[in-house]
Amino acid sequence: MASVKVPEQKVILCGEYGVGKTSLFRRFATNTFVTSTDRKSTLGLDHYEKVYMTDEHQGVKLQLWDTGGMERVASITSSYYKFAEAAILVFSLDSPDSFNILSQHLLDIVTYAENAKIFLCGNKYDLKNQIHVTDADMETFCEQCHNLISGTYKTSCKTGQGVEEMFIDISKQLGEANRSRKELDSLNKNSFKITPPEGEPEDSCIC
Amino acid sequence: MDEEYDCIVLGTGLKECIISGMLSVSGKKVLHMDRNKYYGGESASITPLEDLFTKFGLPPPDESYGRTRDWNVDLIPKFLMANGQLVKLLIHTGVTRYLEFKSVEGSYVYKGTKIAKVPADEKEALTSDLMGMFEKRRFKNFLMFAQDYKDEDPSSWKGMPGFDPKNTTMSAVFAHFNLDKNTIDFTGHALALHRDDTYLSKPAGDSLKRIKLYSDSLARYGKSPYLYPLYGLGELPQGFARLSAIYGGTYMLDKPIDEIVFEGGKVIGVKSGEEIAKCKQVYCDPSYVQDKVKKIIIPQKQVNRNSDIYVSLVSYTHQVAAKGWFIAIVSTTVETDKPEAEIKAGLDLLGPIKQKFVTLSDIYKPDTDGTENNLFISESYDATSHFETTCLDVLSIYRRGTGDDFDFSKVTHNLGEEEV
Ligand SMILES: Nc1nc2c(ncn2[C@@H]2O[C@H](COP(=O)(O)OP(=O)(O)OP(=O)(O)O)[C@@H](O)[C@H]2O)c(=O)[nH]1
Ligand SMILES: [Mg+2]
Repeated sequence: MASVKVPEQKVILCGEYGVGKTSLFRRFATNTFVTSTDRKSTLGLDHYEKVYMTDEHQGVKLQLWDTGGMERVASITSSYYKFAEAAILVFSLDSPDSFNILSQHLLDIVTYAENAKIFLCGNKYDLKNQIHVTDADMETFCEQCHNLISGTYKTSCKTGQGVEEMFIDISKQLGEANRSRKELDSLNKNSFKITPPEGEPEDSCIC
Repeated sequence: MDEEYDCIVLGTGLKECIISGMLSVSGKKVLHMDRNKYYGGESASITPLEDLFTKFGLPPPDESYGRTRDWNVDLIPKFLMANGQLVKLLIHTGVTRYLEFKSVEGSYVYKGTKIAKVPADEKEALTSDLMGMFEKRRFKNFLMFAQDYKDEDPSSWKGMPGFDPKNTTMSAVFAHFNLDKNTIDFTGHALALHRDDTYLSKPAGDSLKRIKLYSDSLARYGKSPYLYPLYGLGELPQGFARLSAIYGGTYMLDKPIDEIVFEGGKVIGVKSGEEIAKCKQVYCDPSYVQDKVKKIIIPQKQVNRNSDIYVSLVSYTHQVAAKGWFIAIVSTTVETDKPEAEIKAGLDLLGPIKQKFVTLSDIYKPDTDGTENNLFISESYDATSHFETTCLDVLSIYRRGTGDDFDFSKVTHNLGEEEV
C-alpha cells in the first residue's frame, strides 16, 4: 500500500439494530461474514481505517465507525457523530420498518454532524425474494430529503456484493469534495488528540 | 431488563461512566441506567440551549443567542490537568480517540482584592512583577525542590535538611525557602490550586505534588496546564459510556429507578416500574441513594472568606457556544447564606452578562464504603477546578468493588489499527 500521508475521514454507520451495520463493518475491516449475532467477536473494536486510492497519487483514508450496539436500548452518544465526514444510513431491504425509520436517523445526523455527506445503503440484497423496499421507494426517500443523499447502494454482506464498490465510491466522493469547511478548520486548528508522553512506558499503572 | 447482571450502574455522570467502562472491560456483565434521557448527569453539557433555560425555569432563549444547538453548557466548572489522572485514564483506556481537546488560554485567581494571572510558563512566573529579584531566586530554588520531590525517596528531599514527609508542614517548607507572603499565596492558590489556606498546616507532600502536577502539565502542551474537550465536558462521560458499550455494557436511559433491592443486607437488584434487574453489585451517584449519604456542611464565616473564587471562560472556539458568545462559570465553596453575593468579585471581572444561571449544589459523601452491602456510592464532585479527586474516587471505588486495581492491559483498544 502506498505510504502517502492522508488525513482520515470519519465515516459512521447509522440505522436500526439488525440491519447489518456490524456486518458491513466486518466486511470493511476483515472481509468476513458471520451469520450469528455473536457480539463477542466485535467487542473492543469499533472503528477501523483503510486507505482507498482514488487515483495514482491520491488516497483517501476511510475511518469507519460502528455503533457498538448502543442503539439497541439507548440513544447513541452524540459524540459518535462529531467530526464525521460521512454517514451511511443503513437499512435492510427485507424490512420496510428499518427503512421507514431512517428519517429519524437522518435528523440525528444533520443535527450532530451537519457537515457530513450522507449515503443510503440497502443491505441484505441477497434475500432476493424477500425484498420489500423497492428502488422507487429509495428514490422517493432521496427526493423527500431534498437530495441530501449523495449516493445510494445495494449491498449484501453475506455474499460481499456491492460492499467494496460502495466504499470505493464513498472514498471518491469524499476525496473529490474539497469541503467548504474552512471556517470550522480554522476554528479547530489548535485542537488535538491527547497522546501518551514520549518515553512513558505504555503500561505504566496510574494507580 | 429482567435479566441478571454482575453490576448495575446508576447515573451516567463521569464517575459512573468511567467505572462502567472499567467493569465492562474487566469482563463484567454491566447494565447502566440513568433516570434522565441524556448522558452525563451532573457532568453533562446541556444542549440545545432551550434545555438549559428550561432547567432553570426560564422562558426560551431569544434569537440573539444564535443556533441553540451550537450551545453545550457545562454544569460543573472543571478542566483537565494535561498531565493529570484523567488524561492518563483517557489514554490507557483508549477513550481519547473519541475526543478532541484544546489548551485553555490562561487562568486567573482572585485572592483578597487582587487578580493574579496564573503564569503560562516558568519564564512568565519568574518575570511576573509579583516578585522582587531576590524573591525570584528563592522561588526558583523552591520550584526545583517541588519538581524533584517524591514521597518515597529521601534523596529527593535533600533541598530541605530535616524534611519529614509525615510531619513537615507546607508552611515549614515555605519558611525554609524564605518565601514571602505574596509568593506563598500565589504558590498555594495559583499553582497548587488550593481553594483555601488550610493546606499550610498540613504535611507538605500533597502540596508539593500538586505543584509538580501543575508544572508537568504546563510542559505537556504549553500555554496553560489545562485542557478542555471540544463540545464540552459532557463528551467525557459519553466517551467512557461508549467504551463500556463496545465491551458489552447495556445502556438504558430515561429509566425511572424506583428502588435498590436488598436481601440480607446485601444488594440483589434494581427495581424500575414493574421490572427488577438482578445483580451482585450496584454502583451509583449520591442522587440515587439520598438515604445512604450525608451532606457535607461547610462552616459558615462572616468576615474574611476562606475559599477562593474561580472564574472559567469558554467560548465558541471550544464548540460550546454560538459565535461571539462566551460562557463563564464563577464558582466557589459557599460560606454564607448569601451565596450569590459571595461571588460578586468574580462576576465583576466579567463583561456585560446577558443571562445568569445560579445553582447551588450540596456535597454528599457515602455512609459506607460498599464492601459490606455491595452498594458502591461515589462522592459528589468537589469544588476543585480539575478532575484529580474525581479519578481518585473512581479508582478507589473500583478497588473496593472488585478487590483489585484496574488492569489496563485488558483494554485492547489498538485492535482497530494493528491486529486485525
Ligand atoms: N442474509 C443476510 N444477512 C445479513 C446481511 N448482513 C447482516 N446479516 C445478518 O443480520 C443480522 C444482524 O446483523 P448485524 O451486522 O449484527 O446488524 P447490526 O446493524 O450491527 O445490529 P446491532 O449491532 O444489533 O444494531 C446478523 O445475523 C447478520 O448475519 C446480509 O447482507 N444478508
Ligand atoms: Mg452491530
